[in-house]
Amino acid sequence: MKRRNFLKTICAASAVAAVTTPSMVLAKEAKPKGANALSYDAAVKAITGGKAVTKSDKVSLTVPEIAENGAVVPVKVNVESPMTETDYVKAIHILTTKNGNARSADVMLTPMNGKGYFATRIKLGGTQDIVALVEMSDGSFLKASKSVKVTIGGCG
Amino acid sequence: MAEARKSMIKFKPKKYKVGDTIKVDFIVIHPMDTGIKKDKKTGKIKPAHYIDNITFSLDGKPFTTMKVWETVSTNPYFSVNLKVAGKGKITVDYTDNMGEKNSKSKKLKPKG
Repeated sequence: MKRRNFLKTICAASAVAAVTTPSMVLAKEAKPKGANALSYDAAVKAITGGKAVTKSDKVSLTVPEIAENGAVVPVKVNVESPMTETDYVKAIHILTTKNGNARSADVMLTPMNGKGYFATRIKLGGTQDIVALVEMSDGSFLKASKSVKVTIGGCG
Repeated sequence: MAEARKSMIKFKPKKYKVGDTIKVDFIVIHPMDTGIKKDKKTGKIKPAHYIDNITFSLDGKPFTTMKVWETVSTNPYFSVNLKVAGKGKITVDYTDNMGEKNSKSKKLKPKG
């Protein structure tokens, strides 16, 4: 009888451990959120202040169609503009639609740049759209977006 | 951390004349921690640590300013254009969210 009891308790204990530990770990991992978490819609509103954004061919966004590694996704933005004192690209904002923090970079340009160009590498947590939101010197907003498939996420 | 971070400024193409528009690439070795990733050694969550402000200037006059977040990749790379008007010095100043301040500069020498 003693041996049977002993085995029973061992079995029960291990079963309880098997059930509880993974769920506890999951609960812990789901908790942390980035300090600057901001949704895509809120980010767009903060930048434009409610102004209309038009899709334009003037903005060309170069991103890979499929990113094998979400931790390093090259992004290149080219904006057609004469870049003179009166007509130039004021800012290029790189946004993502599903990252915890939708903002990646805000780049303020001046006529000294010569061309409306910016390139960097960003992280993507999963398959989503990359959006280039461009502010021109006359106050209008243009945008271009492209979807990127991510096989391995790069934010966690 | 008191020690200076490794960083690099590159001009593309290498040979350029006055009036050309060149690429100014800036690369810096920085962890860019998001604040949600665990340290594999200790099992604790690493605090967010990322570059937040970058200023590109020519002879002290800023021509491009950036605000970036932790969603930019580790060891970030930033590239902008510059119209060369003559000799000068390009300086890139950057700060991160932990108060670290650094700067890197390179001379601009157009030929012809």
